[in-house]
Amino acid sequence: MKKSSIAGMIIIAIAIGVIISTYADSSTYGSFSDARQTESELHVVGQLNKEKELFYNPTQDANYFSFYLKDNDGKECKVVFSGSKPQDFERSEQIVLTGKMIGNEFHASKILMKCPSKYTKDEVEVTEVSATTAKI
Amino acid sequence: MDIQFIGENLLPGKLGQFFIILSFCSALLATISYFFATINSHGDTFQKQSVIGWQRIARTAFSLNLLSVVGIGSCLFYIIYNHLFEYHYAWAHSSKTLPVYYIISSFWEGQEGSFWLWTFWQGVLGSVIVLRGKTWENSVMTTIMLSQAFIASMLVGVELFGQRIGSSPFILLRDAVPGPIFSRPDYLTLITDGNGLNPLLQNYWMVIHPPTLFLGFASMIVPFAYGIGGLWERRYSEWIKPALPWSLFAVMILGTGIIMGSFWAYEALNFGGFWAWDPVENASIIPWLTLIAAVHVLIAYKNSGHSYFTATFLVLISFVLVLYASFLTRSGILGETSVHAFTDLGMFWHLVSYVGVFFILMIVLLVIRRKEMPITQKDEETYSREFWLFIGALVLSVACIQILATTSVPVFNAIFGTEIAPPPDVIQHYNKWQVPFAVVIAFISAFSQYLKYKKTDPRKFFISIAISLVLALFITAATVYITKVYTNFMYIILTYAAVFSILANAKILGDAFKGKWRLAGSAVAHIGFAFLLIGALIAAATNNIISVNNTGIGFGDEFAKSNNPRENIILYKDEPVKMDRYTVTYKGDSTEGVNTYYRINYQVIDTANGKVKENFDLYPNAQQNVKMKQIIASPDTRHYLFHDIYTHVSSVPLKEEDHEDHEGHSDDENYEKPVNHEVNVGDTVRFRDGFIAVKGINRDARIQNIPVSDQDIAIGMQLEINSNGKTYNSEPIYLLKGGSKFDFGKTVEEAGLKLRFTNVFPDKDKLELMVYQKPKAERTWVVLKAIEFPYINFFWGGTIIMVVGFLLSIFRRNKELKTA
Repeated sequence: MKKSSIAGMIIIAIAIGVIISTYADSSTYGSFSDARQTESELHVVGQLNKEKELFYNPTQDANYFSFYLKDNDGKECKVVFSGSKPQDFERSEQIVLTGKMIGNEFHASKILMKCPSKYTKDEVEVTEVSATTAKI
Repeated sequence: MDIQFIGENLLPGKLGQFFIILSFCSALLATISYFFATINSHGDTFQKQSVIGWQRIARTAFSLNLLSVVGIGSCLFYIIYNHLFEYHYAWAHSSKTLPVYYIISSFWEGQEGSFWLWTFWQGVLGSVIVLRGKTWENSVMTTIMLSQAFIASMLVGVELFGQRIGSSPFILLRDAVPGPIFSRPDYLTLITDGNGLNPLLQNYWMVIHPPTLFLGFASMIVPFAYGIGGLWERRYSEWIKPALPWSLFAVMILGTGIIMGSFWAYEALNFGGFWAWDPVENASIIPWLTLIAAVHVLIAYKNSGHSYFTATFLVLISFVLVLYASFLTRSGILGETSVHAFTDLGMFWHLVSYVGVFFILMIVLLVIRRKEMPITQKDEETYSREFWLFIGALVLSVACIQILATTSVPVFNAIFGTEIAPPPDVIQHYNKWQVPFAVVIAFISAFSQYLKYKKTDPRKFFISIAISLVLALFITAATVYITKVYTNFMYIILTYAAVFSILANAKILGDAFKGKWRLAGSAVAHIGFAFLLIGALIAAATNNIISVNNTGIGFGDEFAKSNNPRENIILYKDEPVKMDRYTVTYKGDSTEGVNTYYRINYQVIDTANGKVKENFDLYPNAQQNVKMKQIIASPDTRHYLFHDIYTHVSSVPLKEEDHEDHEGHSDDENYEKPVNHEVNVGDTVRFRDGFIAVKGINRDARIQNIPVSDQDIAIGMQLEINSNGKTYNSEPIYLLKGGSKFDFGKTVEEAGLKLRFTNVFPDKDKLELMVYQKPKAERTWVVLKAIEFPYINFFWGGTIIMVVGFLLSIFRRNKELKTA
């Protein structure tokens, strides 16, 4: 057998190992109730509850940010993030958290937001409408 | 009923749309004509006349295509430059306040603009092939024009069978966005400005990074088209030679583009780093790595006849991966894993078909021609360069498969309906695999330079690399000690491999100066790559958050324990804080346009004698958007030769919206409780920030709009206010009119004072002065994050060296092409 074929086969074996490990490393999407049942970190997708308080007071602690998130099952949970409040947070449509449950709080190590960014939002901001409509 | 809209300038849009249709049709025509020109020039069907005829049509169609692509660009630029907000693209991506260079970057902020860039570069490269391609023109251009037609179709934006095909940059705002105002003929007068460019993209790197990146993407098609042409026309070995300099060119440009993006991320984003393994970044680096692997096996095949299939496959798959990358970033499939991907413009299946067609084309040709490919049955020697070039290429490919597998998780989820999430710690996940791969590649890039093609004497080989191997041991020990990466065994190994590669290749470079210039390009590129590895490794492994906050209070030990390190620190104005070896003070802010710059002073104070050794200011900035209660922050970085200090504000007090005085509120609400003073001329009254001197009495005071008759008394009190060393004058007035008392207070905004002259006590010979003070301003603060990146310049420097190496190799391979 050719040496290059042997090398090729070894490489393919490694490649398969790599792919398997990718999926072994991967975590899962879940809800807060899933998070309560597991020790490991997982991803929770949900929406910010804008009615409840977003707490970030840097004069007290610049690394403590908490808010309430409703997961896709509609369950709500307090989330704590050790860091500053991410920019644009209030406007997020969807939030993906990475973290785990500690007590009754979900401690997030990463927050990923999907925002209807100002720059892609298809909503015309009209200025001085009231002033001009008066004429008609 | 049709509404006649006022003030719209519809000509550039109509012209642009016409050019889009023209570019699509001409690309299609060129594809077909080149296709027939190619088949007619072979075998039984060979007819010289018809080849020339087809070629003439094809060239005309190509010129027309190039012309219309330039036309599209000109129209779009005209629209953005002249702020024609009746067009959605101009409205969505630009604003009147943007300077010209950012108008250029707003041009390619959207998907349509970036597709235009791609088609433009593809057209430019196509004209090089038409002019210089000689016998390759017909077959190579068939593939290029097919791709050109695909991109043009992405821009068409017309409805076909109820399905919108592509997305046109010339769509009107009133067609793109529903809204009641569009039923008014004069709606344009209400749209005063566009949405503007995302502040994160307002960076000079964003002016040049996309054109470079897209030139890289576009040039990937050339080696692909040569490969396809080679298989199609059965010119199996011939295509390798012209494809080689093109591959090097693509690798060089794409590499430069990727690193520019990385530099932009480092300068403008708040990732706190130059590489975050974000799916969007991964998508562009995968084809780059596969094409680098391809270059190496192309060289191996050219010199030894080995690895033909690997070389062809890698060249072809690289371009398919470029298309796959554009599918990932543009289809919206990365929604839950990346912050940077575009949102779906309804082109999901359109993009899939683009990838699919080229992938199928590649597979079909490889299968049809499998028996005829010049694959050797000979075994390679272990001590031969071709064998190790092959192994190196395979290792690179496996590294790619790993990146590809993790990046494609959302695609797997979409296909199989699974719900797999990416790894919780993405960076660690990638590094675990990529560090060992990098070690192997660095080693191979060093010792394979000392191997000859066909067969090498093992004894000679080991002697020649022995010195480098031993010397590298010492240098590694020193490097690892100085840069403190000794905590991780794999990092030490990687440093050793990279140092070895630098030394071994430096020796080759030394020989190059003595006249063996042939390997100079590869030696330089390998040295650059090794430096890049070292730089990335050290900067990523030892970057140090210096804004560590140890004062977290109020949330209990439990919270602090599980959440170290605490990366943000609060700085109050003029209160120095010790951070690492720096004494950092927030000195104040200044506003320039929409940006607020926060002046952060860094000092290094010698503890022995208290002298200031270093003193500099950094100005991280934030755009405040009062309405949305948010900030968009951009960092500022102090560059040293051996490290960078990177600073950005994570939070600032939001400025209050200036609300106008309205009824029901008295002006006095803004002040603290007033203090009454009984004074006379020459007296001085103290207040918090200074004192007020009563200078004199004006018995002839006048009050605007109020007539003062002889019976009335109007007196002004002339005051000199001294606040924080500054002097102001003011004259509150007291009026006795028709037996009633009035007073007209005066405010001194700068001193935060309001002064009223409220009474006169003739019996006491005193005057009453009421002093209102604004409450003391709350202490202003910023929340800051500061990171030290050591040896980051190895990363940038290595990149530049690597690009120079590619350039040298291009010259060499081009020269070979001419002499051959």
